[in-house]
Amino acid sequence: MLTNISNVLRACAQRNGAAAVVSARTYSDFTTQATFEIKKCDVFKLDEAPATQVVMTRDEGLQYYRTMQTMRRMELKADQLYKQKIIRGFCHLYDGQEACAVGIEASITLKDHLITAYRAHGYTLTRGGTVKEIMAELTGRRSGIAKGKGGSMHMYCKNFYGGNGIVGAQVPLGAGVALACKYKDTDELCVCLYGDGAANQGQIFETYNMAALWKLPVIFICENNRYGMGTSVERAAASTDYFKRGEFIPGLRVDGMDILCVREATRFAADHCRSGKGPILMELQTYRYHGHSMSDPGVSYRTREEIQEVRSKSDPISLLKDRLLSNNMASVEELKEIDVEVRKEIEDAAQFATTDPEPPLEELCNHVFSNNPPVEVRGTNPWAKLKGSVPNITVV
Amino acid sequence: MAISLSLGRQGVLFGLRLSQFNKCSWPSQPCQDRVRSFFQTPWMLGVSPLKVQMPALSPTMEEGNIVKWLKKEGESVEAGDALCEIETDKAVVTLESNDDGVLAKILMEEGSRNVRLGTLIALMVEEGQDWKQVEIPAPDAASPAAAPSSSDAGAASTLTPAAPSPSPLPKPVTSGPLRLSPAARHILNTHGIDPKLATPTGPRGLITKEDALNLLKKSPSPKTAPVTITTAAPRPAPIPGVPPPPPGNRPNIPPVSVPGKPGAPGSFTEIPATNIRRVIAQRLTESKTTIPHAYASIDYQIKVSVNDFIIKAAAVTLREMPEVNVTWSGDGPHLLDSIHISVAVATDRGLITPIIRDAANKGVQEISATAKVLAQKARDGKLLPEEYQGGSFSISNLGMFGITGFSAVINPPQACILAVGTSRTELRLNEDDQMLCKQQLMRVTLSSDGRLVDDELASRFLDKFRANLEQPQRMALA
Repeated sequence: MLTNISNVLRACAQRNGAAAVVSARTYSDFTTQATFEIKKCDVFKLDEAPATQVVMTRDEGLQYYRTMQTMRRMELKADQLYKQKIIRGFCHLYDGQEACAVGIEASITLKDHLITAYRAHGYTLTRGGTVKEIMAELTGRRSGIAKGKGGSMHMYCKNFYGGNGIVGAQVPLGAGVALACKYKDTDELCVCLYGDGAANQGQIFETYNMAALWKLPVIFICENNRYGMGTSVERAAASTDYFKRGEFIPGLRVDGMDILCVREATRFAADHCRSGKGPILMELQTYRYHGHSMSDPGVSYRTREEIQEVRSKSDPISLLKDRLLSNNMASVEELKEIDVEVRKEIEDAAQFATTDPEPPLEELCNHVFSNNPPVEVRGTNPWAKLKGSVPNITVV
Repeated sequence: MAISLSLGRQGVLFGLRLSQFNKCSWPSQPCQDRVRSFFQTPWMLGVSPLKVQMPALSPTMEEGNIVKWLKKEGESVEAGDALCEIETDKAVVTLESNDDGVLAKILMEEGSRNVRLGTLIALMVEEGQDWKQVEIPAPDAASPAAAPSSSDAGAASTLTPAAPSPSPLPKPVTSGPLRLSPAARHILNTHGIDPKLATPTGPRGLITKEDALNLLKKSPSPKTAPVTITTAAPRPAPIPGVPPPPPGNRPNIPPVSVPGKPGAPGSFTEIPATNIRRVIAQRLTESKTTIPHAYASIDYQIKVSVNDFIIKAAAVTLREMPEVNVTWSGDGPHLLDSIHISVAVATDRGLITPIIRDAANKGVQEISATAKVLAQKARDGKLLPEEYQGGSFSISNLGMFGITGFSAVINPPQACILAVGTSRTELRLNEDDQMLCKQQLMRVTLSSDGRLVDDELASRFLDKFRANLEQPQRMALA
């Protein structure tokens, strides 16, 4: 049996060797970069708008494709695992909105800061988390990005502040991070995201006021996916022009399903902030295919036809794929190969996340306070004291 | 492990799939025969499938029934398309596909009951691949995937209560009165355990219910709880049985209440549901769960007590109040122009509702004759579809069984159903001469679809209905 396999593999290798030579010749036939025409963004209180002619290189295109495909398959795998009861609790999936996360990250650096709400798996990936860590966190195991103690809504990494459960509460925090950037006089900015449902929260308007008053380097981004849980924007907001809600803060409305639009608009917004002009507001018009969370089937407030229409006409991965193929920047086989690699990566990560052990009970009180250990942590009543032996990691 | 096995096989398959395309271009080798036979075994030729497993569509779901497949084998499926309808413990929910592809094989047919979470229910292949060649994984490859996760959950939960018991430091009860919470006292008394052996963890040395339970757990069956928690190895769940005699001289008193075993073999016989019953069951469930039912009851004095009068009275009242003669058309009320009343008839096959067409324009005798004919046809099972489909209003009469009053389930897409009880004699105080006199009362309950007929409309309907029945001569004039 093993000799059979080795002979077959040898035959394969010979054949594959020849195949590799053949395909290497065609790689140089691809265009290395192309110019694309994108939709013009509506502006509010701005004299200029983001550029409509953008350049994308082949490498950039392939990298965006890979990241978006990884995000998509990771969310679908999380859906599968949730339905097998391997992931429990809350799970808010991001598929359909990949262009937002990848587009934003394409125009900022890892030194900039980002904070978002609970639909955060995509951002955890773009901000430096690995798929293995994210999936292990979803299943609550010790190799998770938050040591298995956070779960879906509490994932953090460097310069990424989560992962916040309370609707709209991350916006004042984001302005605080921007204040720190301004105070320390670094060239960093903070990207602060919220949804169309949170956009009606009072604390966000308070934040607009302070950010504009002190000219904080913050980009407020409203991810408008048309439904706040089950309420459509027409039924929730008196004004659905979320980019104009800042009143004294300039705004942009961007097509959130086109990654190049998002990238260009974020670049424009980042330049605005870094030049000291103060905050700016961006509305990304996007769509989510899943329901609000895993307990929402997602079809009681919208029709399946609507979801299928968006999937067929404006799916961000398909749009990018069409662009790459029609401009001869990649071949179908190459993209398929990326798909297969991504699938394998996600399968491995899911396998790892299912078999990793849970965090031990001794870890319960670790990473709670930043004092030097041992620390006493209050238990479920004032007389119960638990021991914490590891302090929280102070992030500088 | 089973998962890694199947993945490993898929990995090998993928690597070797490349060499399947052009077998004739292989270099001739002495072991070519062995290799050829190796490649012609079924599992090498197959296409690796995308697995569709039974999902948990509600947090409490452990198993479900497959009601209907919405796609056929060989049909192409897009991401977001509905694949099948699954009946969960609460409702019938549609399962959507997450991937594009072609549905290759349905492993669990329509009507499969009690399919456990995680069982393979279908296989899909990617587009462009030959779906007929899909390889069907061995059935036991899938089930261990579900078994370890459930036994892990069991093992993990049994370990966590064992783990905290070593951590709280046991404070020895040296002196002072023993303080027991009432629940702890009851538990320890029932099992005859000495409360002095319990470690108090409550405030000021109180022995709480948890301490009593811990003591109970520790004394009958001492568990050897391993420190390492490994979820990979499936561990058999602790078998509840008769506890062995505890060490020491403690009396071995078995627990007072033994959990009953409902449904033990031999104590019941199962009658398989006929198709009609199954459909009735499904429709009733669908009706009660999707339609907001609203109820209103009224008593009326019987002057003449015949079911046909009730049908006539209902029809006449509907003519007077056409807003109640509506059906639900998906987005809103659909006013009907004619009045067809469905009458519930009990047959051995189940409850069926033949329709009396244009009941408002028929006389009582004509209604009586029609109802008799339809009831006989229903019992014989000879009703034509147009005789039981349609209808705007239903009446169900359980008076012959002595039921005083009940509320019926609406037949969608109708708006209302009237449930008629039996006639009963009651005493009434006569206002004029302050004497008690008998009266015949009958209770009817109207179940209405809250979206179409709200409480106010229902009450007005019942009021008119009562007026029509108590003074039947009004109906002749209408």
